[in-house]
Amino acid sequence: MWRALLLSLFAGSAVQAEAPLPFDLGGPYELTDQHGQTRTQADPGGNAQLLFFGYANCLNICSAALPLMAQVVDALADEGIEITPVMITVAPDQDRVETMGAPLAEIHPDFIGLTGDEEALSTAYKAFSVEVTPLFQDPEYGWIYAHGSFIHLLDSDGEMLTLLPPILDTERTVEIVRGYVVPQS
Amino acid sequence: MRLTLSLLLTSLALPGWASEGTRVQVTGEIIDTWCYYSGVMGGPDAVVGSAHHTCALWCSAGGIPVGLLAEDGTVYMVLKIAQDDASASGDTQLSLAAHTVTADGMLYERDGQNYIVVNEVVSDADIENRTHEDYGTIPSFSFPEPK
Repeated sequence: MWRALLLSLFAGSAVQAEAPLPFDLGGPYELTDQHGQTRTQADPGGNAQLLFFGYANCLNICSAALPLMAQVVDALADEGIEITPVMITVAPDQDRVETMGAPLAEIHPDFIGLTGDEEALSTAYKAFSVEVTPLFQDPEYGWIYAHGSFIHLLDSDGEMLTLLPPILDTERTVEIVRGYVVPQS
Repeated sequence: MRLTLSLLLTSLALPGWASEGTRVQVTGEIIDTWCYYSGVMGGPDAVVGSAHHTCALWCSAGGIPVGLLAEDGTVYMVLKIAQDDASASGDTQLSLAAHTVTADGMLYERDGQNYIVVNEVVSDADIENRTHEDYGTIPSFSFPEPK
């Protein structure tokens, strides 16, 4: 937490008028990615992370947030800033290890999808205060869920840096992220 | 709609509040931030008020955070409307869609964004912004065709 606070204090000029977040988000979790590998809140490659709670075939907010994350990752990669896009599923019945990789890869090849058993997912939801509620069952796409919709910017250790509203455009989102994450040398 | 209303969840259920922040009282309209910022459904004057009420319900139910468009044009991202507990606050967000309200809460400025935690909706004037008189329904397909 202290690291996140220091980063926010000494971040670049893109970070304006900082007020601490009015809540404490983030924490440890241990889930399974689309390759069957265990992954925690820390990024094994040492990259900062964009974390979203959603599901791979979601047609609602995810269809805005996941492509936005992909565009931000690509824009920052051009500047030497490596960011890992991560989605924790809110629909483990639909996003299984063997099924969620392909739709996420269509959005971005580096996308990490995470799922797990009820207890493991619940730990992650609780850490980020995400609630998940089934809305209705679509005959074509299965259950439609309402769920938390902000994107979380985490550092490589999984510490929360800031929130990103999913309705911002790519340029503005890049500007915010750039204020927290420096290019790798 | 009753089902949707009853099942919507909050975009964030916030567990603990820091003492920082500035107490504010803001009068404005509860808006659909996606359509307002993206412009995909039309200009900013068309995606507010009565013309956009139905779409705002769909977007909110789909997870789009609601905003509070103040009279001076400032948009506040609403993190929570606090008179409801977390499981019921979605009902509040939906019932206030397109309404003109006066909200009392805490303002957090971060990354150039204005976030507000609404402690109390002091007044609710219902839908005052009668944009349907100029724009009809925006978008026109927000009322699903019966099959």
